[in-house]
Amino acid sequence: MAHLTRRSLLRGSAAIGATQVLGFPHVAKAAATTATIWFAQGFVQDEDVALRKAVTDYEKASGNKIELSIIPFAPERQKIISAITSGVVPDMVDSNPGEILQLYGWQDKWVDVSDVVDSQKGQFSETALQAAQAYNSVIKKREFYGVPLRAAVVPCHIWRSLVEKAGLKVEDIPKTWDAYFDFFKKVQDNLRKQGERKVYGLGFQVTALGVDPYNLFMAFLVAYGGRDIVTKDGKLHLDDPKVKQAAIKAVAYIGGAYKDGYVPPSAINWNDADDNNAFHAKLMVMDVDGTLSTEVAVKEKHPEWYYKEIVTHGVPGYPNDNAGKPLPSIVGYTNGLIPKGAKNVTVAKEFLKYFIQPKVIGEFVELGLGRWLPVMPSLAKSPFWQNPKDPHLKGYVQQGLLGPTIPDYYVFNPAMAEVRNQQVWSLAMIDVAKEGVKPEAAVEKAFKRMEEMFAKYPIA
Amino acid sequence: MNGASVAEVDRPGVRWHALSRSLRGGLKGAEYTWALAFVVPYLAVFVTFVAYPVVYGLWMGSEPSLYRELFTDPIYERTVVNTILYLALGVNVKMFLALLLSGFFMRPGWWTKVMLLIFVLPWAVPQISTFISIHWMLNGEWGFLNNALYQLFHIEGPYWLNDRWTALGAVIVSHIWKWTPFWTLILLAGRMAIPLEIRDSARVDGATGVRGFVHITFPLLANLYLICTLLSTIFLLGDFNAVYFVSGGGPANSTHVLATLGIRDAFDIAQPRLGVAAVMSALPLVIPLVIVLMRKLRTTEVQL
Repeated sequence: MAHLTRRSLLRGSAAIGATQVLGFPHVAKAAATTATIWFAQGFVQDEDVALRKAVTDYEKASGNKIELSIIPFAPERQKIISAITSGVVPDMVDSNPGEILQLYGWQDKWVDVSDVVDSQKGQFSETALQAAQAYNSVIKKREFYGVPLRAAVVPCHIWRSLVEKAGLKVEDIPKTWDAYFDFFKKVQDNLRKQGERKVYGLGFQVTALGVDPYNLFMAFLVAYGGRDIVTKDGKLHLDDPKVKQAAIKAVAYIGGAYKDGYVPPSAINWNDADDNNAFHAKLMVMDVDGTLSTEVAVKEKHPEWYYKEIVTHGVPGYPNDNAGKPLPSIVGYTNGLIPKGAKNVTVAKEFLKYFIQPKVIGEFVELGLGRWLPVMPSLAKSPFWQNPKDPHLKGYVQQGLLGPTIPDYYVFNPAMAEVRNQQVWSLAMIDVAKEGVKPEAAVEKAFKRMEEMFAKYPIA
Repeated sequence: MNGASVAEVDRPGVRWHALSRSLRGGLKGAEYTWALAFVVPYLAVFVTFVAYPVVYGLWMGSEPSLYRELFTDPIYERTVVNTILYLALGVNVKMFLALLLSGFFMRPGWWTKVMLLIFVLPWAVPQISTFISIHWMLNGEWGFLNNALYQLFHIEGPYWLNDRWTALGAVIVSHIWKWTPFWTLILLAGRMAIPLEIRDSARVDGATGVRGFVHITFPLLANLYLICTLLSTIFLLGDFNAVYFVSGGGPANSTHVLATLGIRDAFDIAQPRLGVAAVMSALPLVIPLVIVLMRKLRTTEVQL
């Protein structure tokens, strides 16, 4: 056996180092057909299974390799932002959070994916196509930086059993906005008369956490005629009296309902999951909350709740405006994005083209038990969405895909993402609900903050 | 000068040799190569995982415009006040309790050991799940605390997380509950390191009970106590979990501290540089703390 000397040890170490360096081109060559994809973990395991299946099928069909990382929602969001900031990026990510498409599109951080979208352009809904675009402040143009994968809308979720316990019927719920929500105040009053100490009529998220309060406020704003707060050209219209009036009415109704005791007091500090938990605990009769997660979460454990007790008001059911006109629903989208600096854009694009084939993407969405909506109207016709035995899916897909829809306002101007994430509307609602501030003053303060935010995102 | 003339020393070649010798620390040939082989990996790790992140962070938060934006955020001022309160109460109450409890756990007897085992549990269990449990426990409608109050005494408990002060109080109490056991163990170890002879001779001189604590134990523990307090302050300044999972920074963003504000700005608002700036704005407090800590660690006084 040869003696191990200091020199031989150093020589050996150098040789190992050299092997690593010389071996590197082999790895680089392998990377030519390998793409790294990050995707948010599904709400139910079937969603992840469906994604893995799509990836495996693509790998078989193409011979390419996909390194798929399925990451829990919050960490993925942080990972994506960190990756874009550092410049060490994967080849594809889902838009988590949804607004990063527009926020980083503004900064010219995404690869143009028009060619991918074009491969199925006729299939996508008009709203999905709008939401897949972002204004790029470097080239001063809107481009397709996102490939629509799935969508979500905000329906109303109602406990039929609590409505009936109050001596009323779900079928008697009025169809116009204010009357619709006033109905649940009556349900609460009746339940209190029966000695129900802690049941509230309305599950309004009067909180400054998560995206729910923004969604709630925007639904009210649109219902009261404030739809043009930001127009498609990205311009803010706070000087429009209709917008201002709608904002005041929205803040007054939501804040007033809380102040009058029709909203659970803890709603002021709910996080995104707390309203679901409170609803499942029958703390409130109804909840205005995005996606069908409220229903899907109990499907397996409490099928009787899913099939009989919980009612979803999508379309029909979702209230019209106070004049009786149907309202458009605001839809949020998950898009596939390719960061600039990605090493294998070609494979990432190929995979996206494969993934958005109606059969593939349709199956992916359906395996998630319908929590997410498809983005192609033709997919809404499938037996899954039209299943007459399912009390929730048909109305949900009608509301978010087939009915009148608009994209979230950050699609038009990323400043609206800041408005959402800095909880500008929440603070206005809380000012009214808790601090006794007049709605006009609360809205004035919110408008001032919005103007500051929009000043950072001028669109010519 | 080893016989070298002044003129020789001034020559560039000689100066370079002297400098090179000095850099090599007097090591020659293979010894120097070995020294390098051992030092380089350490340096590489240090540069990659310590120096680079710090410099990168400083660079990310270096634009003055970030601070202008940060200071115009309506919640920034309140966040600074919360951070100061969190530090002042969280650290001092916790350390004082730890000091008292470490004395209690010095008592002989098997039951003290059993108590210590139970006492350490909050520190031993994962913090995220415990803070989430506290968040739910404090829920005004269906939380354990208010339901217990109602069931036992027919009292309607307050909505703990609906008010800035009770929510911040809940965060501070949660932090104290979680971390007091750890610092108690450290101070307990400090107390156990005090030589028995000192305590015995003090006892002979009549320094027992409170007098023994004031004149013997505390002076000997003072340096350790101060170092623990400084360390805890630095740890707490970067603590994110208690606030994030107990109050979520609410209600209405009123209980954020700089660490949670930084995370909010970096990831919720997707402005990582602003997030770094929020955390960096604590540097005027951190730097003096680190300097004092370093000085204390270098102290040569005979103290534990």
